[in-house]
Amino acid sequence: MDYTIKETLDCKGLSCPMPMMKLAKAMKGLSSGDVLEMIGTDPGTKSDLPKWCDKSGNTLLEEGEVEGGVFRFIIQKK
Amino acid sequence: MAENKKEQGALSELFRVFFSKHWPVWVGGITLGLLNIILFAVKSPWGASGAFNSWGENTFRLIGINAFEGTAPSTTNLYAMLGLFTILGAMAGALFSKEFALRIPPVGELVKGFIGGGLMALGATLGIGCTIGAFFSGVPALSGGAIIFTIGLFIGVIIALKYLLWEMENVPKFSTGKSFTLLAVSSEKGKWQVILGWIVTIATFVLAYLTAGTNGVLAWFILSGLVMGLICQRSRFCIVKAFRDPFMTGESDGSVGVIVGLFVTLIGFTAIKYFGISAEETTLRAREMTWVFGHTWLRAILGGFIFGLGMTVAGGCAVGTLWRVGEGQVKLWMSALGFLLISPLSKKYIVPAIVDNLPTSMKFKSYLPDYIGYAGAFIVVVILLLLWYMFVKWNERTGKFSAY
Repeated sequence: MDYTIKETLDCKGLSCPMPMMKLAKAMKGLSSGDVLEMIGTDPGTKSDLPKWCDKSGNTLLEEGEVEGGVFRFIIQKK
Repeated sequence: MAENKKEQGALSELFRVFFSKHWPVWVGGITLGLLNIILFAVKSPWGASGAFNSWGENTFRLIGINAFEGTAPSTTNLYAMLGLFTILGAMAGALFSKEFALRIPPVGELVKGFIGGGLMALGATLGIGCTIGAFFSGVPALSGGAIIFTIGLFIGVIIALKYLLWEMENVPKFSTGKSFTLLAVSSEKGKWQVILGWIVTIATFVLAYLTAGTNGVLAWFILSGLVMGLICQRSRFCIVKAFRDPFMTGESDGSVGVIVGLFVTLIGFTAIKYFGISAEETTLRAREMTWVFGHTWLRAILGGFIFGLGMTVAGGCAVGTLWRVGEGQVKLWMSALGFLLISPLSKKYIVPAIVDNLPTSMKFKSYLPDYIGYAGAFIVVVILLLLWYMFVKWNERTGKFSAY
């Protein structure tokens, strides 16, 4: 899928709840269709983020591991 | 040989069931509730803040502070050992799932961890217990004070969450900056994590076996700690999440997990108290009053409030701190340090200065069945749990109280 990343959010080193709070805030500042890249190291994000996308209606385009222990998520705003 | 291979496949499949994905929080709630019931049947219910207090008192004793000379060593303290093995159990859980890594956040986060831990210590010593002792065990123990402590927790969490939101808007520097992730492995590599996980697990079983000969209860607490820590890490069981998320992102999963756990524990605790199970060494009344603390109402509400502030700023309650320490979250290492350093000081100097001046009517033990009988108390707690459940579900749908 083709997309251009509008903003990158670095949450490395942060633990719950900071990654989800920062993500929710960053998404608020985007317009519909914009794509955000989030990078983090908290294992909790792996279950919290997809659930949140599900409920908030935003689309999780991609999720994966960049390197050991560093996760990357691509989210498109509703 | 072929059969042997098949056998291995089945076992590694079982391993993957437990350690490839996180468990739903309600699975954690139910299993922790059951283990908590067994802890009570064996001796006394789950608690977490006592561990920090014991470690803190021993730290002060070891550096030679006279006031703590008579402190019992942590190795003989049931709750200190339960807490230590909760850390190791969480570490094993993280290692088995290759989620262990030292995650060092920006300096501002480390400061928040320490302050949060210190506030939790103040709250736990003033309110007599933390989110485990005075809430997750206290409410099912049919303690009236536990319900008041819970109200305090709610107020503290909401205010601290407002602070965090404010901080993110106005001083974003606090949570940004240089961070480090060490020892992390990717999912295909890093077999050493799984091996180390086994070493931790097997060593704990050997220690429990050696302890069982002289102190069976301690051995049971050691094993329970390991299993409970592992469950917490896999299900990311977090009391802060249960209180906070409805007001943050509106998520209800964390709350539902805790509510389910409370309900399971309530059934077991009520039976143990009603029938006086394992009351041989003590009186029936003492068994009934287990985990019913003399904190109704002022001590409970103040303690709960301060604890709620602390756990939200730290991002983990007492047990949430323990299992995240084991997972390698360095922010929570600071929170543990703040908790264990402040707890003995607060218990010895700050709390007596406040509490000695309070009239008994502000710090008494209230046991719900004394007022409304066992059936009444059970029904009241079930209704409160149902109301909480309805609230978080309704709020998740409507987003009425959520920040986002």
